[in-house]
Amino acid sequence: MLFQALQKVFRKPIYILLALVTSFAVFAFAVWLPNISLIVKVMGHPGISLTQKLDLPISLLGSIVTNFTLLSALYTITIAILFGINVAIFVYFLRRRITDVEQSGIATGFFGITSGVIGMGCAACGSFLLTSLLSLVGASGILAFLPLGGGEFGILGVILLSVSIYLTAKKIQNPAVCKITI
Amino acid sequence: MKKFIKNIPLPLSVIIAGVLIAGAVYLGTSKNASTTAVNNQQPQQVPQQTGNLDQMAAISAGDHIRGNPNAPVKIVEYSDFECPFCKRFHDTMKQVMDEYGKDGKVAWVYRHFPLDQLHPVKARKEAVAVECANELGGNEAFWKFADRFFELTPSNNQTDVDTVLPQIAREIGLDVNEFNTCLASGKYDAHIEADVQNATATGSNGTPWSIVVDKNGKKYPLSGAQPYASVKQLIDLALQGK
Repeated sequence: MLFQALQKVFRKPIYILLALVTSFAVFAFAVWLPNISLIVKVMGHPGISLTQKLDLPISLLGSIVTNFTLLSALYTITIAILFGINVAIFVYFLRRRITDVEQSGIATGFFGITSGVIGMGCAACGSFLLTSLLSLVGASGILAFLPLGGGEFGILGVILLSVSIYLTAKKIQNPAVCKITI
Repeated sequence: MKKFIKNIPLPLSVIIAGVLIAGAVYLGTSKNASTTAVNNQQPQQVPQQTGNLDQMAAISAGDHIRGNPNAPVKIVEYSDFECPFCKRFHDTMKQVMDEYGKDGKVAWVYRHFPLDQLHPVKARKEAVAVECANELGGNEAFWKFADRFFELTPSNNQTDVDTVLPQIAREIGLDVNEFNTCLASGKYDAHIEADVQNATATGSNGTPWSIVVDKNGKKYPLSGAQPYASVKQLIDLALQGK
């Protein structure tokens, strides 16, 4: 059922392109996040050539290998792919003006990406976003008690995004229609 | 759970997600981000700092410098001996020094940033140990100790400090009794805490945290164990003094 629904959506290359672009954007956001200020500084510097400006963010993509654990790299890439698929099927719905979209699927997707984003960026020691959020409530010490050091949020993100895709795909295969009972 | 999610209106879920992500990004990248540090005795909230690279303590003779102290480009690294990414980045920095250090173009300045929340007790004790190596054997012993420590230990708070620290001291030719006395003295606690405070003041959220300083004093922040290619590009920019 899921496979058939995805086949229906990705039959058109535009949705494949949309999923790829979105996935890359999420992936790049996660990898660049710790160094956003550096990228902004280099990009905004008038004395630096365009080649040099582009080289730095491209090379920083390599930090998925050097600045992530195997687990965090895996769930970061998975979240990026799942989010790309989610956005593509969401747009598929919008373009077909289906009004009875089951909101639970999309809502789950948004919670999934939120959880994933909070869990990701756990690049350098001290989970980047999670530490910031926990510091706000004076609870950053809680990280020491999480067996995966905050990676739990990334895994939760993967689960929620998967559920979101499943719920939305179900709706694509079984659209809301008045069934005739004979 | 499904019923709960189903009952949440879509716009509300989008707003909640947006607010959480935007808030987290803002807090994580904000120049006014607050950071919590925990010292050896009790949890302590570091006062709200202005995360500004210009607050980096000036490089002085008291720093641990590898390479030419008058190099046009200096990389100031704030590091934690139990952080696996610092262990990885240490090798990257050694590669940097192999390429740029020999010509005196780059100097590597090492400062402490033990993350007590993640690596309680051990990271700070290891920072003291390397300071003791410096006291007993000078700058060369400091770097020998640091290199050997990262080479030998698994990181992530798994180091058997009582065995490993004296072992490295012995290996690099220090007097182990004097080393142990220094380790227990607590004389470097304030120095290490000052480094921690300075790291947070410059806007660090974790380790390794590096600041690349060019010949004109312009500073570039580099967070995490970034690939050698990125560090090299940043050094080349800094060497151009742009």
